[in-house]
Amino acid sequence: MADLKYAFYTGCSAKGVAPELYDSTMLVAEKLGMELVELEAATCCGAGAVQEKDEFLAITINARNLALAEEMGLDMLTICNTCTVMLRESKFKLDSDPELKKAVNEVLAEAGLEYKGTVEVTHFLWEVIDAVGLDKLKELVVRPLKEFKVASFYGCHIIRPPYLIGYEDPDNPKSMEMVIQACGATPVEHDARLACCGFHSFWSAEDEVTLKLTAKDAQSAKKEKADFMVTPCPLCHTQLDAMQPEAEEKIGTNIGMPILHLPQMIGLALGMNPKKLGLHKHIVPTAEIIKKLAA
Amino acid sequence: MEKFNLRVFRYDPTVDEEPKYETYTLPLEKGMTVLAALFKVKEEQDPSISFRYNCRAAICGSCAVRINGHAKLACKEQITKLLKQFDTDTLTVEPAGNIKVLKDLIFDMDWIVDKMKKVKPWFIPKEPPPEDGTEYRQSPEDHAKIDFASDCILCASCMSDCNALSVNKEFLGPLVLSKAYRFAADTRDGAKRERLEAVLDKFNLEWCVRCWECTTRCPKEVQPYENIIRLRIMAAEEGFKSPGEIHAEIFEQDIVNRGLLNEMLLPFRQEGLLGGLKRAPFGIKMFLKGKVNIADFFGGHSIPRIEEVQKIYEKAQEKKKEVHIKIPQILGLVYEDKRKSKKNKESSSNGGQE
Ligand code: SF4
Ligand code: SF4
Ligand code: FES
Repeated sequence: MADLKYAFYTGCSAKGVAPELYDSTMLVAEKLGMELVELEAATCCGAGAVQEKDEFLAITINARNLALAEEMGLDMLTICNTCTVMLRESKFKLDSDPELKKAVNEVLAEAGLEYKGTVEVTHFLWEVIDAVGLDKLKELVVRPLKEFKVASFYGCHIIRPPYLIGYEDPDNPKSMEMVIQACGATPVEHDARLACCGFHSFWSAEDEVTLKLTAKDAQSAKKEKADFMVTPCPLCHTQLDAMQPEAEEKIGTNIGMPILHLPQMIGLALGMNPKKLGLHKHIVPTAEIIKKLAA
Repeated sequence: MEKFNLRVFRYDPTVDEEPKYETYTLPLEKGMTVLAALFKVKEEQDPSISFRYNCRAAICGSCAVRINGHAKLACKEQITKLLKQFDTDTLTVEPAGNIKVLKDLIFDMDWIVDKMKKVKPWFIPKEPPPEDGTEYRQSPEDHAKIDFASDCILCASCMSDCNALSVNKEFLGPLVLSKAYRFAADTRDGAKRERLEAVLDKFNLEWCVRCWECTTRCPKEVQPYENIIRLRIMAAEEGFKSPGEIHAEIFEQDIVNRGLLNEMLLPFRQEGLLGGLKRAPFGIKMFLKGKVNIADFFGGHSIPRIEEVQKIYEKAQEKKKEVHIKIPQILGLVYEDKRKSKKNKESSSNGGQE
């Protein structure tokens, strides 16, 4: 059995607008036998914003984040797609450019730190599949979600770009469907499975792009009569759940598609209390799901 | 002999009201490409089918189509590989997405050319050519900044799968923005500001949602998404103020001052008091749902060891002046988790002995 101890990089969202992601991750990880040691001194990954203003700074702060995990001697586990890709992008650049690595380490030395490049950046979804294992997950399922049709929403940064992600084929990924099935639910095919939620252009193109994508995604799951959508990314969640009413207003149609975080769905299948998993904290009501579970 | 199906998008606007799909069954030949399969259909089953091609060697960029939903060059993709990749006996071939279809698999390239004209994708010299009659020169380091971006074959694969374009055709798109970068970043070019102004018109450059589809689809080493980011960095350096620029500043300040982003105060800082107030009902809704911490409205907490981050920030400001970050080669590269490669190595070296 693989070692299930990780340096846990929460990211800003799980500590900010998506507390239910933090709570459900902790509950589910414990049940699955994962030990998450929180990187309390880690900073924001830059989220692509810092990267497009000051690339060197973005790489340096992530080198520090990675150095903190190296201090612990543990691989870094994230629960956000964008954190994953940003941390990996910095790592990729540092590992493939010795001069850059040297310069960054001269900066880190100010704080008595060094980036060596000895730890990996991985995502909760991948560790559930590879380290915990789907057989183990299936064993632990006490409330199979057999009456649920579930639409997966991968979110861009867990499949693209291959040179930074590479976990599975970006044209035909299967990981989310595999976990949905392990939870006893039925995955539904839908058009927006691999699409973008629009989050990253919210402040520059809310009306022009973002809300239109959000509406299109939620409608795509609705069209296939999914009970809910599930995503491994809190940014997708904020966009698709918290912003869904704005998206509905934009297109003048009600959608009402509940969006679950990946650990929330797993938690339900593990028989955990929906309230403990934070289902009541969503903007799009999850009452139908809870009703169906209780029936 | 083994067979497979080619399900092809058919549409002739002069006669058809709606597009339709027709399925052709073909024998599976070793090494057969999608383009070769289309030829076989045209020669043996249906001469009316239309598609574009020229070089048949992934050079001219004429043959981009969508195969099972993703943009690819028809002449580069082998049928056997695709059948395996999608675990199927049927491949669906459609014209590139996001672009008007002229007939069957042929799309409207003029639309892209018109967009390109906006960024003037041609060399506008900064100064007259050297007096000694030689050519314009640039150092190998400077050339490396645009070399890869000059490899674009105008295939439009990136435009086809672009998420921003899928909902707004006014977006310039990855091909066009990448072209703008190629010239704006050329040290011999004199129209950098003009090009930046063109891509920042209505902040078009910032409509990109960072979905990374364009780079994933590009059959050459062009890196369209990364070029969009490079353009944004250039715009910031040139002093252009944009929503993205303000956003980046807020992130930078929060990292230095508290470590994590303060999402609750973000609207006020991004859009000013009025903009923030416009979003107040949303903030209240989030608060009532228990999604946000009231303390965050008053600045909230900072991470432990924040002094360390501040020292690093100061030092990085100095250091970055002497650092030159190389542009990596990424085409065909697939990230490998070192834990996995280690495991594979161990199991293969044990192979046969256990
Ligand atoms: S990264 Fe930007 S330009 Fe590239 S496909 Fe996505 S939205 Fe389009
Ligand atoms: S950037 Fe790449 S995908 Fe886009 S048109 Fe050029 S070669 Fe094709
Ligand atoms: S025919 Fe030229 S690129 Fe395919």
